[in-house]
Amino acid sequence: MTSWFGRLRLEKRNAPGTGVLLLVPLVSVVAALLFGAVFLSLIGLAPVAVYREMLRVSYTTGYGIADTLVSATPLILTGLAAAIAFRFKLYNIGGEGQLYVGAIAASGAALAFGDRLTGPAAILLVIVAGALGGAVWIAVPALAKAWLGTSEIITSLLLNYVALFLMQYLIFGARTFWRDPESATFPQGARIPDATRLPTLGTTRVNLGLVVAVLAAVVLYLLLTRTRIGYRWRVFGDAPAAARYAGIPSRQVIVVVLLLSGALAGLAGATEVAGRAGRLDPTGLALNIGYNGIIVAALARYNPLAVIPVGLLLGGVLNAGPALQTLPGARVPVAISTMLTGAILLFALAGELFVRYRIRMRDPADVEELAEQATTAVASPRAGTGPEAEA
Amino acid sequence: MSDMSDIPDATAPPALEAVGVTKVFPGVIANAGVDLALRRGEVHALLGENGAGKSTLASILTGLYRPDAGELRMDGAPVTLKTPRDGLERGIGMVHQHFRLVERFTVTENIALGDKRLPWRWSAAKVRTEVEQLAGRYRLPIDPDAIVGELSVGERQRVEIVKVLYRGAEVLLLDEPTAVLTPQEADALFVTMRALADDGRAVVFISHKLREVMAVSDVVTVMRDGAVVDDVRTADTDPEALARAMVGRSVDLSTRWARSAPGEPVLKLAGLRLDAVDGRGRLEDIDLEVRAGEIVGVAGVAGNGQRELAETIAGLRRPDGGTVQVLHRDITGVRPSQARMAGLAYVPEDRLGTGLAPSLSVTENLQLTRSLPFLIDRRGGLAHATEVIERFDVRTTGPGAAVGTMSGGNAQKVLLARELDVRDGLTRAIVVAAPTRGLDVGATEFVRDLLDARRADGCAILLISEDLDEVRALSDRIVVLSEGRIVLRREAADAEVTELGLAMAGQATPNDAPDEPSQGPSGGPYHEPGGPR
Repeated sequence: MTSWFGRLRLEKRNAPGTGVLLLVPLVSVVAALLFGAVFLSLIGLAPVAVYREMLRVSYTTGYGIADTLVSATPLILTGLAAAIAFRFKLYNIGGEGQLYVGAIAASGAALAFGDRLTGPAAILLVIVAGALGGAVWIAVPALAKAWLGTSEIITSLLLNYVALFLMQYLIFGARTFWRDPESATFPQGARIPDATRLPTLGTTRVNLGLVVAVLAAVVLYLLLTRTRIGYRWRVFGDAPAAARYAGIPSRQVIVVVLLLSGALAGLAGATEVAGRAGRLDPTGLALNIGYNGIIVAALARYNPLAVIPVGLLLGGVLNAGPALQTLPGARVPVAISTMLTGAILLFALAGELFVRYRIRMRDPADVEELAEQATTAVASPRAGTGPEAEA
Repeated sequence: MSDMSDIPDATAPPALEAVGVTKVFPGVIANAGVDLALRRGEVHALLGENGAGKSTLASILTGLYRPDAGELRMDGAPVTLKTPRDGLERGIGMVHQHFRLVERFTVTENIALGDKRLPWRWSAAKVRTEVEQLAGRYRLPIDPDAIVGELSVGERQRVEIVKVLYRGAEVLLLDEPTAVLTPQEADALFVTMRALADDGRAVVFISHKLREVMAVSDVVTVMRDGAVVDDVRTADTDPEALARAMVGRSVDLSTRWARSAPGEPVLKLAGLRLDAVDGRGRLEDIDLEVRAGEIVGVAGVAGNGQRELAETIAGLRRPDGGTVQVLHRDITGVRPSQARMAGLAYVPEDRLGTGLAPSLSVTENLQLTRSLPFLIDRRGGLAHATEVIERFDVRTTGPGAAVGTMSGGNAQKVLLARELDVRDGLTRAIVVAAPTRGLDVGATEFVRDLLDARRADGCAILLISEDLDEVRALSDRIVVLSEGRIVLRREAADAEVTELGLAMAGQATPNDAPDEPSQGPSGGPYHEPGGPR
C-alpha cells in the first residue's frame, strides 16, 4: 500500500482562476509571517505582539499611514519598472542603479535650473530629469541586449555598483556640484530649490510622488491592455518567434521596454530627491528600493495595477522595521523587515507552483468509479470527433 | 472477430494481451476497458486519431503506466509491469517516435548502453558481433562503428530497432515509425517488420496512416475516445471502413485537384538564392510559379530548405539573390507586414510559438497579422472571434481562452481562420507549411476542405510539407526540394510515389529537374512537358 504522500499528484492547470491568483500572494505573506515568527520566538520575542505592533505603526495611526505611503511611493515605481520588463522576459535587475542615477539627474537638474523655474515647470523638470537619468543608465544594457544578445541580467546588475559609487563620490568623494559647500565635517547633498520640491499633502510627508506613481501604474496598465503597443509587447514576451512572424521589430521592443523600465526606476529616484529628502542623500537612497521593486513586481505577478496594493503592503512592512526599533523596552532587530520581505518573495516564488499546478490526492476508489463512468460513457455512441485532448 | 483459421497458432495464448485495461487521467478517460491480443507472427496495427488512447495503451503495454483496472497477460499468465525496464526484461520493447540515442556515442555503444547483463568492463567486440548478426537477419543495414550523430533519421531508427532486439524483445511496439521516413525508407521498414513477425515475434505498428496500415498489417485494432471500436483482419476491411471507424463518421480524404484551369501567375519566384553559413538548408536558384486557382506542392525530407523557402517568400529572411513577386509586385526582402499588404498570407509549420502566441487569447491571436489602430477595438475583436469560433467550429471555452490550452486541431483552425480568411479580398497568394501535421483525421479533412475552397476562390497556394501523402492529396503540381534545390517537377496526375521518393532522397538524375517552363495565363492545355521517365 502506498502512503498518502505517494498518492499526491501534480496536475497542470489550464488557466489559473482569479481566486488562485489572489490567494497565492496572500498565503505567501501569511507563510512569511509564520516563518518570521519562528525566528522572533528564538530570540525571545512574542511574534503576535511584534506583528500587532507592526500593523499598528504602519497601518493604524495617521502618522504611520502617512509614512507607509511615503515608503510605498518609490517602491511602486521600482515595482512598475521591474513589472514592465520582467513581464516581457527582459530581466532588468538594475532598478537600484537606475534609481540612483535618476536621483543624481533630478537633483542636478534642480540645482542647475530650479531657480529659474516656478510651479509645474519646475516639478516637471525634476521628474523628466529623473526619468531620463534612469533611461540613460539602462541604455547600454538595452542596446547590447538588442544587438549583441548580451544578458541584460548581468549588465544591468553590475551597473548598480557603478551607480552606487558614482553617487557616493558626488557627495563624499569630492567637492562637486551636488555637495553642500557648508557641510564640511559631515558632507551632504546641497538642498534643491523649494520650487522643485514636490508638494505635500497637508502637514504630512505624503507628496505628489504618490500621485505620479499611481498614475504611472494606471497608464501602464492601459498601455498594455488597450493599445497596439502593449499588444505587440505581449506577443513578443509570449513568443518571440510569433513576433518575428508578425513583423514586430524585436530589437525596438527590447530597447523601448528596457528604457521605459529604467525611466520608471529613475522616476523613483526623482521622487525621493524632490519628495522625501530634498537633496541627493546617498545614505537615505541606498535602501534596496530598486531590488525590493523586483519583489513587489513578482508578488503583483507583473500586473501594473496590482503593483499599487503590493507596494503599499511592502512599504508598510519595511516602514515598521525602523519604527519598531524606536519602541521603548522591546529589542526588535531592524532586520526583521528585511527578513520578512525576503521570506515573502521566497514563498511567492514557491507559490507559483500552485498557480500553475494543482495538487490532487489519487483515491483508488475514485479511480474505479471514474473508470466505470468512462466505460458507460464510451459505450454510448457519440456524435462528432469527441474531445481531442491527448492524454 | 473474423475467421482466424489461417493463423498457425490461433489457439496459442497471445504473446501479450491487455484485458479490460482502463486508465483514467483527471478529466480524460484515456483507455476504457481495452482488450488487445498481440500474437506471435503478426503485424498488429493500432489505428486511431490523436487522443484516441493509442499512446496510453502503448505506455501501459510497455510498463510506463500501470492500468487503473484490467490486467496484462503474457502467454496467458497475468503480469504486472512496474517500469519500462521491467517490460523490456520480459521481452516487450518500444521504438519511440522521438529517438533516445546518445549522439556522440557509436551505434554499438548506444546499443550496449543500459544493458545490465554486461559486466563493468564490457567487450565492445562481442556486442558488435551481435549487432551485426541482428542487423543482417532483419535487413537493417547499419554500421556498428558509426557515430550516431552523423546518421540520418532512417538510420537512427534502425539503431533503435536493433537496440530493442538486442535486449531480446519478443513484442515490438513502433510508435508512428514512418512519420520521419521517405517512402523508400518506409517500404524497407515494412520488410523488416514482416521479417520480425515471420521470425515469431509480435509487432505492433502504431499509426494513423490508413495506406500504410493496409499495406503492412495482418490485424487492425481501431481506437476512438479511449475504447476499441473495431478489431478486424486487414484482409477483411478497406481504408474507407477504417477511416469511418476511426472518426465515427464517413470522411473524404481523397485526392482533390483543381476543377478548373489555373489563371494567371500570382506568386513568382525567380532565381531565389539563400546562402547559409553552415551550408545546410540553403536555397539554390529556385524558379517557381504558382498560378491563381492552383496548389503547388513542395515535397522533401525535413531540413532540405523548406522552412527557408517559406520564410524567404514571407519576408522573414532576406534572400542573397533572386526575386519574389506577388501579382507582378516585387516583394523581395520586404518586411513581413509589407508582404502581407501585397496579398501574401503565410501559415508557418510551427503553429504554437510562431503562427500563434500560446498564452494570448483566441481574440488576440486573430489580430496578430492584422494592421491595428493605436487603440485596440476590443468589442470588434471579440465579435470577430466569436464569429470565427462559430464558423470554424473551434472547440474552446470562449474567445478569451489562451490558444496554448487548446488542442492542435483547434489551434490550427484559429491560425487558418486568420490567414485564410480571404473575405477582405486582399489575400491572393498563400504559403502554407505542414498544415495538417499532428492533426487527427477530422481536423485534417477540415483543413483540406478549406485549402480546396481557397483554391476555388482563385488563390495561388504553395503547400510545403514533409508528408508526401499531404502534398499528394491536394497539389495540382508537385516539386521536390532536396538540399535547397528543386530536383523534380511533376503534374500531380503523373507523379509516382517511387519517383518522388527517390528525388526526396536526393537520387534524381540531373535531367529530371527541368527549369520552370514559361507559360502564359492562357497557356493552352494544363500540362507541362514532363521529364523523361
